[in-house]
This record gives sequence, C-alpha cells and structure tokens, in this order.
Amino acid sequence: MGTSTNGKVNDFSSDMEVDAFRRLFPLRFHERHLAESIRPDGRPLGKARDTTLVLGAVASANGSALAKIGCTTMLAAIKMEVMAPTVEAPDEGCIAIEFHMPPICSPLIRPGRPAEIAPVISKQLSDTILRQEIICHYLELSLVSGKAAWMAYLDIYCLDADGALFDAALLSAVAAFSHLQVPVVSLNDDGRIVLISEDNIAAMKEKEPVNKEKRKLKLDSVPFSLTCVLHKNHILADPTSEEESIMETFLTVVLDSSSFQLVSLNKPGGPGLAHTSAIQECVELAKLRVKEVQKIMNEATSDMEQD
Amino acid sequence: MSGKGSTTPSTYSPSPTGYKKKRPDSNWARPDGRTLHQCRPAFLRTGAVNSASGSAYAEFGNTKVIVSVFGPRESKKAMMYSDSGRLNCNVNYTTFATPTRSQAPESKDLSSMLHKALEGAIILKSFPKTTVDVFALVLESGGSDLPVIISCASLALADAGIMLYDMVASVSVSCNGTSLLIDPVSEEESYQDGSLIITCMPSRNEVTQMTVTGEWSTPKIHEAMQLCLDACSKLGKIMRSCLKEAASGLQD
Repeated sequence: MGTSTNGKVNDFSSDMEVDAFRRLFPLRFHERHLAESIRPDGRPLGKARDTTLVLGAVASANGSALAKIGCTTMLAAIKMEVMAPTVEAPDEGCIAIEFHMPPICSPLIRPGRPAEIAPVISKQLSDTILRQEIICHYLELSLVSGKAAWMAYLDIYCLDADGALFDAALLSAVAAFSHLQVPVVSLNDDGRIVLISEDNIAAMKEKEPVNKEKRKLKLDSVPFSLTCVLHKNHILADPTSEEESIMETFLTVVLDSSSFQLVSLNKPGGPGLAHTSAIQECVELAKLRVKEVQKIMNEATSDMEQD
Repeated sequence: MSGKGSTTPSTYSPSPTGYKKKRPDSNWARPDGRTLHQCRPAFLRTGAVNSASGSAYAEFGNTKVIVSVFGPRESKKAMMYSDSGRLNCNVNYTTFATPTRSQAPESKDLSSMLHKALEGAIILKSFPKTTVDVFALVLESGGSDLPVIISCASLALADAGIMLYDMVASVSVSCNGTSLLIDPVSEEESYQDGSLIITCMPSRNEVTQMTVTGEWSTPKIHEAMQLCLDACSKLGKIMRSCLKEAASGLQD
C-alpha cells in the first residue's frame, strides 16, 4: 500500500505499523496528513482524482458512457422507448432517471438489501438534470403530437464505489446524453412507432420517417459537480470512501458548465457546520473542477467522432 | 425491478417485436462471420473493482460481465455453524443489457447454476464458518451469458486468493439442425434446437457441470462434448495467462 509515500509519516518505523495505525486510529491518521496539507493518496487537499471518460460503452443502448473518478466507476446508459404523452402536454417527452448500486460495487451492499444512499442519489440526479431543464428540452423528445413521444430511460450503475458517487454519476449521465443518438423511426399502420432498420426498409419505404435522421440532442450547457468534505478548517475535494466514512460533513456544488452559475448546493447536514467562507471556497474549487471536467468531456467527444 | 410505480406511463420499444427470425437455410454464415467451431475472441482482466477482494471483467463479443468476490467474511447470523465454508452467488442484469428494456432472464435460476458450477472447484474446507460472496453483473447480454459469467467468476475467485482445486472454464454449444455452433450469440440462441453447456476444470480434466437442453441425438452430444472440452482447455489457458500477466504486473 502506498501509505508511506512522501515520507511525511516518519514517526512510524515500518509500513506495517502505518497500516495498523490507519485502521486503529483512522481520524488521527487523516488529521496527521491534513496538518501537512497532503492526503494519504498523495493528493493536495483541493485536487480531484484522475478522471477518465469513455463514450459508447454499451452497444445495446442508444447512448452510454463509462466514467471513472479515481476508483469510483459509473456506467450510464440511455434506452429510448415510445410512450403516449399526457393530455396536458401533448408535445413533451419524458426522462426517467434511476441510480443503481448492485452488490458488486461495495462490500457493504448485499443482494436483497438495497443501499440506502442509492435512492438519495437518484433523487439528486433527477433534480439536477430534470428540474432545470438544462440538458433536454422536453419538446425535442416529441414524435407525433398528442400520440407518441420519446421516453428516455437513463440508468446509472455504480460498478465500483470509492467515494464522490454523485459526481461520478452526474458525469456519466451527462456524457451518456452527449453520446445519445435518437434513432430514426416511423409510424406504422397500427399506429405504433417502429424502428427503421435494414430488415423492414422495404416495407417502410412509402412511409415518411417521423424524424428524418439519427440526431443528437441539443446540449447547450450541462451541469458538473464537485463534492467536498469539510473537516475542521480543511476542505478536501473529491473524497475517497475512506475519507467519507471518517469525516462526515459533505458539501456538493453543482455548476453550469457555460456560465459557471450555481445549479445546486447541497450540504446534507452532518456533524460539522460550514462558514460562508468555506462554502465560497468550495464553489471556487468547483469552478476549477468544472473546467477540468469540461476538457475531459471534450476530449472524449472528439475521440468518439474520430472513430 | 420492472414495477416502477404508477407514475411512469407504459412504454414500448420501437425495435420490431416478434423478433424470432427464421433460421437461415443450410448455407449461411454466422452473424459475426465466424466459422462454426470458432469461439469469439475473449478479453479478460482481473482487478476490475477495487473495493472487492477479487474481481474480473470478461468481454466475449458483445457479452460483457463483471464479477466481484467478497470475503471470506462472516456468515449471516441466521446460518448454522459449519465446518466448511459457504459459497453465495448472485447474478444480476442491467436494465439495458437486453435489446428490450428490463427483459433479463430469471436471475435466481442463473445464480443457482453459477453456484453449482463453482462449488466443485472451491476448497470450501479452507475457510470454515465463513462465506464467500460471488456477485455478477451482466452489463450487456450478447449470447452465451452463463458460460461467460462462470468463467469470469472463476477468474475473480482466483484473483481474490480463494483456494481452488483448479479454475473452471465454461463453454456452450448450440445445436442447429445438423450443425453445431460453438459459443452462440443471442440471435443464434433464439433459433437453436438445443444447447449444451460444459463447465470443467481443464488441468484436472474434470467436469463440474453439464447442462443439456432441447433436442439432441446421442452422436451429436458426443461431438458437442468433445468440442466444448477442447474449447474449455483453450479458454483455461487464456484465463491462466491473464492471471500470470496480472501477477507479473504487480511485481514491477
């Protein structure tokens, strides 16, 4: 284990003792690091872990993305289905977002006993993505007014849980939307929407496709987030699960990628209280992080286009 | 998982239903251009999930599976005392794994098949009173899911350092009229007459599980078994080299 990096923990003679100290006195172990403005994995306090993004990870979905922040891994995929729009909003589609934590992702989750945090993150994601209507103009999901509209099922699976779950989930969700291709469909005689594929292209020839070509949704501005842990006077960006379990006060900042305006700010209680200055500092850290994530996102998109 | 509450309106997939295509006539190519007795290229990696004791990722064509192993850890409180360890298996599908959303095969059934396939290869006596959990998640279902899950789980167990008599490799063959197709994809599985899955320990030449379903003639079964066993020993070698690669990577 790379616990004895940087040689800052010289008071312990061997690696083994450091490991034992880490397990027995986790809080003191971390505070000892914080005093030196460094974290056990060698990061400075305000720095997020290495982030990678791969678009199109699942072929059976219309849009998908795999996001990795440090060891935290999220797989998001969107499947487009057809629904009858409501009478009140005949031109609007719908987006259903669900966050899953299958038992593979963490030793704390057992089958049949779903994680308590999963529905919380599900709700947070829905609030961020849907309420603001930042990502999708619902009108773009309309097919035949009053008869048919798209229902986008966005499912996000946590494959490896190592802290900052919401950040990784939001990143993968946004990336899946940017990869989403709305398929070409047409209305058949029974009034059902069917996919135009090579098999039934002859039968569909005389039918006008409802939407002309495969297209992407318009993404003007998207939300990105950064979670910080507040502990005494320290602010730790992008905590690992170990840090989350020891220091229990979190603050999540969601910013809009184009204007850097605040989308949401969430401090779900916790034993620590936050000063205004601490909140401002978190927002500053989030701004830096959003720029970083945006760059990663652009690289992933341009990689995809080259292929 | 499908019962999502009354707020969501009922939806349907635009892809054509009644998708069961007719089987093509005698001279036909496999959808992915393989020969009849050729397996899909296998991609295997250990250490996919950091928070697990051991894990593996397997990708055979479009079939993508992650398996995590946890433990040996304390058994459930309700469990009776036992001299030998317990194995607990669970298989899940993502909602987007299948072409139509949330139409995953029965996961209880797959979980018990996985359990029975692995049980014989694990030295359960080596972890008395405790449980080893094997959890699988199918990210994408592209055919021959169960054999891929089993092979991947065996690799994950080895990665977790659980004592095994040997790794198990699993391969399926599907019978289509007169021809045998090894490692079938979903489309081929949808029009097969019968299927045979063999799970074996290649270096001990022992079979832990064999499942035959559908219509078979005796000579065909013999032929299919031989095909599977050969493929298993090849897959076993790939799995072994994957572990060696991971181990040599650690030393560097």
